[in-house]
Amino acid sequence: MADWKKASLSTQPITLDPNEYFNTSPEFRRQQKDRLAMQANLKRQYQLQLNNPHRTQLIEDPALNRWVYARNHTLEHFRPTLRTSLLGILYGVVPLCAIFYALKRDRWLRSGSQHW
Amino acid sequence: MAGVGFRRLAQALRSRRSCGVSLSLSGCRAGSSMGKDTLPGPYVKTPEERAAAAAKYNMTIHDYKPYDDNGDGTGDYPHLPDRSQHERDPWYTWDHPDLRRNWGEPMHWNFDMYIRTRVDTSPTVLPWRKMNKQLWGFLGFMLVLFILGENFKSYTPVLPKQYPYNGLYIEKGGDPEKQPEEEKHYEI
Repeated sequence: MADWKKASLSTQPITLDPNEYFNTSPEFRRQQKDRLAMQANLKRQYQLQLNNPHRTQLIEDPALNRWVYARNHTLEHFRPTLRTSLLGILYGVVPLCAIFYALKRDRWLRSGSQHW
Repeated sequence: MAGVGFRRLAQALRSRRSCGVSLSLSGCRAGSSMGKDTLPGPYVKTPEERAAAAAKYNMTIHDYKPYDDNGDGTGDYPHLPDRSQHERDPWYTWDHPDLRRNWGEPMHWNFDMYIRTRVDTSPTVLPWRKMNKQLWGFLGFMLVLFILGENFKSYTPVLPKQYPYNGLYIEKGGDPEKQPEEEKHYEI
């Protein structure tokens, strides 16, 4: 993989990332430390709940709940802009009209009319 | 005896609650442990809001980056790196090994796309340009050949098919009284 080049759909292997080897700045290390501390805390919370002999129910995952909530409540934060309007037309109106026209044209051809 | 059983039944009914997922979907908050400040909210603008949102999603402040505010409806949900679960370490002891995810870890917006049975963003074995060239090169080559073959057909010469009974004269609607002209299909 020595001749690997950056591409939009193929991510850089972590072993070719210079940050992995050369970034020794204390800021970078501090960020890594914070991240690991947070992850360790979450691991600890999960393990406590998992191995609790008095637990009788599923372990609720707040991150999962937030994800599901965010995906289902997009309408609250939706704003009609040029981009969203165009996307709406592209996904909603164009397929409908295209299928309508395709079926109608098929019928006109079958019935022998010259309308199409 | 019956009283003890009844009390235990009532206790079980009271303490049982449905899984948090269905509660956030239905909007019923009675038994859920998630309040308004733990659920996703609108887009964050001030640095204090950013810090609060990063803490809410269990992320460090420099990792937290919301999606652009272009009206798509994502709110303050973090824009995590667009990497699939294929790229995660297979040997680490994840809490959920099939999903390669730990409990409480913020989920990518398109998490259900990046699971291991679906989209894979891991580094390719060959360079991307080489793969592209090979694929489109082959398809283009075959396309050119097919077009040439279609326009410049080449096969051994054939005559139109010869049918018996004077070329099926009666079957093709010819008059049975009239005698059809004889067709000669050979020359001696």
